[in-house]
Amino acid sequence: MPTPALKVHDLTTEIQLSRATVHAVGNVDLEIGEGETLGLVGESGSGKSILGLSILGLLPGGGHVTGGSIKLYDRELVGMKPRELREIRGNEIAMIFQDSLSSLNPTKSIGEQVAEPVRLHRGASRKEALDRALEVLELVGLPRPRERLSDYPHQLSGGLRQRVMIAIALACEPKVLLADEPTTALDVTIQAQILKVLDDLEQRLGMATLLVTHDMGVVAGRSRRINVMYAGRIVETAPSEELFTAMRHPYTQSLLGSIPRLESDASKPLLSIPGLPPDLTNPPAGCRFAARCRFATDQCRAQEPPLTGSGEHFFACWNPVDGPAVITVSKPAAGAAPAAAVAASVISEPAPAPAAAPAATNGSAPLLELVNVVREYPVTAGALLKRKVNSVKAVSNVSLYVNPGESFGLVGESGCGKTSLGKLIVGIEKPDAGQVKVRGEELFKKRGGELRTARRVVQMMFQDPYGSLDPRMRVRSILREPMQVQGIGSAKEQDQRVRELLGEVGLPVNALERYPHEFSGGQRQRIALARALVLEPKIMVADEPVSALDVSIRSQVLNLMKRLQSEHGMASIVISHDLAVVKYLSDRIGVMYLGRLVELGTGDDIYRRAAHPYTEALIKTIPVPDPAVEKAKADVGIRGELPSPIDPPSGCRFRTRCPLAQEICSQQEPPMRRFGPSHQAACHFPLQTPEPETAATNGAGASAAPSLS
Amino acid sequence: MIGYIIRRLLTAVIVVIGVAAITFAMLHYVAPSPVYIVLGTKATHRAIEVWNRQHGYDRPEIIQFLSYLNNLIHLNFGYAYKFSQPVSALFRENAGRSAYLSGTALVLSLIIALPLGIVQAVKRNSPGDYAATAVNFTLYSMPSFFLGLILIQLLALDLGWFPPGVSDTVTSTLSAITHPRQLFLPIITLALLNVAAFSRYMRSAALDELAQDYIRLARAKGLSERGVLMRHLLRNASLSTITLVGLSVPSLLAGNLLIEILFNYPGLGLLFYNGLTNLDYNVMIAYTLLGAILTVLGNLLADITIAAADPRVRLG
Amino acid sequence: MADSQQIEPLIGEQMEGAMLGPAPSGGLHQLVPDGGEVYVTSSGWRLAWREYASNRLALIALALLVLVVLFCFVGPIFYHSNQTLSNPLAQTEPPSGAHLLGTDQNGFDELGRLMLGGQSALEIGAYASLVAIVIGTLYGAIAGLVGGVLDAVLMRFVDVLLSIPFLIVVLVLATKYSGTVLDISLVLGIFSWLVPSRLVRGEVLTLRTRDFVIAAQTMGATRRRVIFRHLIPNAMSVTIVNITFLIADSILALALLGFIGFGLQFPNTSWGDMLGNAQTYVTNGQWWLVYPVGGLLVVVVLCFNIIGDALRDAVDVRLQRR
Repeated sequence: MPTPALKVHDLTTEIQLSRATVHAVGNVDLEIGEGETLGLVGESGSGKSILGLSILGLLPGGGHVTGGSIKLYDRELVGMKPRELREIRGNEIAMIFQDSLSSLNPTKSIGEQVAEPVRLHRGASRKEALDRALEVLELVGLPRPRERLSDYPHQLSGGLRQRVMIAIALACEPKVLLADEPTTALDVTIQAQILKVLDDLEQRLGMATLLVTHDMGVVAGRSRRINVMYAGRIVETAPSEELFTAMRHPYTQSLLGSIPRLESDASKPLLSIPGLPPDLTNPPAGCRFAARCRFATDQCRAQEPPLTGSGEHFFACWNPVDGPAVITVSKPAAGAAPAAAVAASVISEPAPAPAAAPAATNGSAPLLELVNVVREYPVTAGALLKRKVNSVKAVSNVSLYVNPGESFGLVGESGCGKTSLGKLIVGIEKPDAGQVKVRGEELFKKRGGELRTARRVVQMMFQDPYGSLDPRMRVRSILREPMQVQGIGSAKEQDQRVRELLGEVGLPVNALERYPHEFSGGQRQRIALARALVLEPKIMVADEPVSALDVSIRSQVLNLMKRLQSEHGMASIVISHDLAVVKYLSDRIGVMYLGRLVELGTGDDIYRRAAHPYTEALIKTIPVPDPAVEKAKADVGIRGELPSPIDPPSGCRFRTRCPLAQEICSQQEPPMRRFGPSHQAACHFPLQTPEPETAATNGAGASAAPSLS
Repeated sequence: MIGYIIRRLLTAVIVVIGVAAITFAMLHYVAPSPVYIVLGTKATHRAIEVWNRQHGYDRPEIIQFLSYLNNLIHLNFGYAYKFSQPVSALFRENAGRSAYLSGTALVLSLIIALPLGIVQAVKRNSPGDYAATAVNFTLYSMPSFFLGLILIQLLALDLGWFPPGVSDTVTSTLSAITHPRQLFLPIITLALLNVAAFSRYMRSAALDELAQDYIRLARAKGLSERGVLMRHLLRNASLSTITLVGLSVPSLLAGNLLIEILFNYPGLGLLFYNGLTNLDYNVMIAYTLLGAILTVLGNLLADITIAAADPRVRLG
Repeated sequence: MADSQQIEPLIGEQMEGAMLGPAPSGGLHQLVPDGGEVYVTSSGWRLAWREYASNRLALIALALLVLVVLFCFVGPIFYHSNQTLSNPLAQTEPPSGAHLLGTDQNGFDELGRLMLGGQSALEIGAYASLVAIVIGTLYGAIAGLVGGVLDAVLMRFVDVLLSIPFLIVVLVLATKYSGTVLDISLVLGIFSWLVPSRLVRGEVLTLRTRDFVIAAQTMGATRRRVIFRHLIPNAMSVTIVNITFLIADSILALALLGFIGFGLQFPNTSWGDMLGNAQTYVTNGQWWLVYPVGGLLVVVVLCFNIIGDALRDAVDVRLQRR
């Protein structure tokens, strides 16, 4: 066996804080051979990034490697003189970071930044280094690199900046590449492009790559082996296929089971891992996963399991599992309701959920209706007198409806206008044109008490679990506030209701007297969910409810949302960039691109019978946690960057990136056409055959004219 | 760029007119007419009325203000009755000496403060950083004249190295430059005060930049700490200091005031002080206006420099 | 952080739907609550205080400040001295048993004078900062809340006023208004509110776009409720931190006023006034009339600056803790 390019043995890293020591990485072993990619998967705080930084000797203040060895071929890096280590950094071992905007120096041109390591390590002249920079920028697929050499980072889009960062790493042709969440900050279509670049380069240059990520889908197709990290320990390591099909550690099993997948049946709840990861300043004595593990025994809590196994598959567990989880519905009461709701969605005519039955008997008037809604944000210039010079076309001519009890998902990349649409629906913003009607009435036509009462109907849940709760209010006040505002109930009744809700969202009663800062992100989202439920709304709008959360916490919140949604019989609108999340939670899905709604349909319509090329590309680009599927993927889905919403393309807005685009696409805006009972898409050259009828008027197809007493 | 500067200049003019109005109103409230300086406090009621009418101080305030503005456009700052000279002549005479004092102190303090702040940030929480922070904080919390007094006590009275005040032989700007020993104490006092403010600011600016990801990337490229500092940190950290320097131009003027009084150095500050104690109307208003104009110009200069130095700033 | 707090039992068994097929023995009963435990730390202000108290320098500054306040306000009860009638027979005496810090040129006992001057200096600092913070908070909050044209006009006005150097304005006004504690406080306070008004406006503007404010709006909260329950309490920390800096600056400005000769009516005095003839004292070698009062003043200003810095850090930690 040849010497591995990078070999880490028994590495332990600690971070000394003012009052405590974080045991960030403990006894980690790993090996990467030349031309090989090793996946390192873990949630935030698992120590995976610290491991990467340990290798380069770039630990944050207070961080030290306290034991073990790191070998680059046969050279030991631990304890190496800083000067020698510097000669290795950026030269033989290079690193790619997550956030390309903050990782590039804002006041230096990208040419200079790419050239810098070349000048440093190769002793090249300025001219030579810039030539090399040009070469590498071309290699990573930066369009028109010569013209961009003198551009500054802020002038490039996120995807292009990430390419620049890769170019910096590759400038000196390193032997080892450490990629720390290289695509996490990017949209899926851009992520696919960047991953493709990484794949190609790795093969061409024969580097050893350590791919650090939280996303099982990202590692699935592109690493031979995968290491799973939890709370500073490697808990399982195996060849990719084996890890996904025959995992032995309960954490790996739960982690994979907790990811919502496009192809899976949304009626089955996700596997969820209860609780939170341990505090690494004071890690538990035994297995670090024991507190959250369903199989934990006294031995697990007392004694730390060693990494055992045979061949290429090792795991650290006293009670290993055997392969993926078989999911059963455990609680008939809780499980039956979502099943019913989903059953309704399979019959493609959206039927009301059982709890909303009384509302539906009034005729099938939609609960929420958007008619040709437009929202544009002015772009101003001038210091003293702000004059409007242009506008961001956030939402353009969107029409849709949501029936009582129905859950609707809205999916799209950043900047597609989905968040603005959410704000329009809850009535925080006013449409510039068109109507947003809740139960047939426009919120903005109301005033005073009438408006206040009307607001009960629509409530919202936000993305940022840290910003959505007032930091100066206790949980009790946060949850009572909606009732106080609406003048519902006596103080005692309010308190009773708050306690009920807290139980419903799975938080202990002692949470009542605490402030938001004392909760973890997932717990805060539970509180936010409870707050949205206080007023028993008919519609709940959830804007990226889980995208700030770790995978294991994500499934907790998703399951909870799904259960409460059906228990309360409310309609919901889930907004997310993640199609899998949306598909898991929703009966019907709308796909947005650059301010326009391009396709509408049930989860299966969208996933199995996508009519719009954008939807199809979106599905293709989502990394699937299945090595076989990932490896089979050949192309990158969508080429190019998202055009500016200030000056969107004429006609069909997707035409600039569409493989099927023709003359007509730039001249005429495609109308919504019907492809099935609830399936519509706006495309001149759809991938499915439209139904022969005349073009359907948006939204109205399934419902009679709104008639409300 | 040119368009931006022109637009900014126009705004600046509006601000200056606003400042002139406020200053004028305030001064009018404090001392409605310079008549007492001319005729003395024992002048008869009748004489005062006659003088006021002769010199236009009986007109409505708005008319007085407009005529003052009109004079201002012609660079006529009125007559300093106490000094029996036009204000503009007095200012011309003293401005050079003040500028010399402020300018030298400013340059000196930047030379010390910028590297000091960065070194403090890089070696944060070291004994040296603590010591420098302690000194900075103390200087920052000290009235300027008190620092001057301590230096006079130490360096002039106890050690006798420098004269305690500027002697009367320093009459022109040129003589101020050719007598460095005379000006040592005032310059050092002013410079030290600025060092305290600048280095404190520079330290926190550099700390902010050091926490940025691009510093980590620079290290990952294999740059030495020195390289990281010189090639990446210095420029970005200095950007915010440019603003500070722009903003501190007027405070130099005010700092001058106390230092000039303390060391009896004949600059604009001392002139203002004499005008103030005698309620010399036109000197007070002119000095206040000068301060405001310098502030506006300082801001403008800082903004333009930032716009030129930082590619992220778009002129709008 | 792992307080051995008992987690109260949940209302209702919270096992989410998904579970593994055959549960192994001893599996479920010891699981943590579904949402995870709530680690009990402490209330918000207690956390801020703990963060503050962990800053040893800030604790020393606070203690020192308390001592100075006691010295000024309680000191005269134990240390009697005549501070109303001048004594021509005991002018500028150096420190002795009778006068621990000597006497000044009017024959007043310097130690007693320090207490008296400290009282007015601290009072002026407090009043001036109070005036400034009240005006500044209201002004900034109105500008930030109303927005639009009014905001633009209000803030341009602040820009104009800010371009007049503070010290010069204060000096000009002091030619007419000085002599009483109230006069000087007003003169200082009335031109110190500009910076706080900008800070509060900025804070209100960012708070307005925060999700929790939007959430309050979606539940139908009135404008008044949003302002008083959410915006103002959250903007308070900026204000509180700013008060300490304002006091420090006011006392500094007071010293300059005193040095130039605008102070309290004789025989009242402040530390500023006591430094009025400092230059003469230094030249005459009467050190006891300069360094005790100057040193005390610097210490007080320093303490306020240190406390302000520490408060800012502590409040930041409290809000940003994750």
